[in-house]
Amino acid sequence: MEGDGPGRKESMPGPLGLTIWFLGTVFELMFVVCSLARKSFIRYFPLNLYLILSTSVSIARFFILSTYGNRSDQYMYFYYYSDALLTLALYIALISLYSHVLGELRAGAYVKWVAVLLLLGTAGFSYAVVVQSTARLSTSFAYQLSQNLYFVGLVLTYILWGAVLKLRETRTRLVQIILSLGLYFSGYAASYALLNFSGEYSVSRYLCPLLGCFLPLSWSLTILRYDDESRLVPARLVAVPR
Amino acid sequence: MSRKLGALVLAMGILVGAMGIKTVLSSSTKGTVMMANGPAPLPEPRLPDKKKP
Repeated sequence: MEGDGPGRKESMPGPLGLTIWFLGTVFELMFVVCSLARKSFIRYFPLNLYLILSTSVSIARFFILSTYGNRSDQYMYFYYYSDALLTLALYIALISLYSHVLGELRAGAYVKWVAVLLLLGTAGFSYAVVVQSTARLSTSFAYQLSQNLYFVGLVLTYILWGAVLKLRETRTRLVQIILSLGLYFSGYAASYALLNFSGEYSVSRYLCPLLGCFLPLSWSLTILRYDDESRLVPARLVAVPR
Repeated sequence: MSRKLGALVLAMGILVGAMGIKTVLSSSTKGTVMMANGPAPLPEPRLPDKKKP
C-alpha cells in the first residue's frame, strides 16, 4: 500500500535487524526441536507452547511488516495484540516453573490460586489505568496489560529464584531455565529504564530483539546440555556462611 | 488466616511491588511504550490512542 495514508508502507529493518530476527526465530524453533529430541516436550509443555506461539507470531509479523511497513497501523496493532498474547503465554510458562519447584511441597493448588488472583489483579489494574481513554480502549488495555505483566513476571521470577535458593533446588535444567528467565526480564526492565531516561528509540532498536534471541537460545542450550537427572552441587548454588 | 485470604494478600503484594518497580523505572517517562516478545523489530514508538482523537 503506497501513499500518505495510515497504512502507508515504510522501510523494512536493515540487514542486521533482519538477521537478529531470523536467528531469534530459529532459536525459538530450536528449543521445540530439542525438547522433542530429548523427550522433554510434555514436561516443559508451557515453555514449548510459548515458543511455538512466539515463532508463529514472528512469522506473521514478518508478513505484515513486509506488506505494510514498520510505521503502519497494521503492524503496530498486530504487534500490540500479539505481544499481549505472548506475555500471557510467558506468564503461564513462569507459573509452570513454580509448579516444578514447589511440586514436592504439594503447593500446586495454592500456586494456581495466587496466579489466577494475580492475573485478575493485573488485568483490573490495567483496565483502571486505561478506562479514561475512550478511544481504542481495547488496544490501550492490551499494551497496558502486557507491560504490567512484564513487571509482575520480573517480580515473580525473583521470588522463584529466592525459592530455588531456599529449597536448595539442585535440578540443573530447572535452575538454568529460571536464571535465563530472570536475566531476560531484568534485561527488558533495564532497557525500559534506559529508553525512558535517555528518550532514544534507537537504544532499544537492537537491544530488545537481541534479548528476544537470548531466552530461546539459553533454554535450548540448557535442554541440549543437561537431562532431567543432572544435578548441581548445592554448595555451588549458594554459599551459606556458618 | 485462610489459605485463600493468604493467596489474595500475596497476589496483591506482588502486584504492588511490580507496579512500584514500573513506576520507579518510568519516572521520567515520555509516554514510552515498551513491549517486546521475540526478536521482531519494535514498531515506531507512538501511543495508538493518541494518534487520532
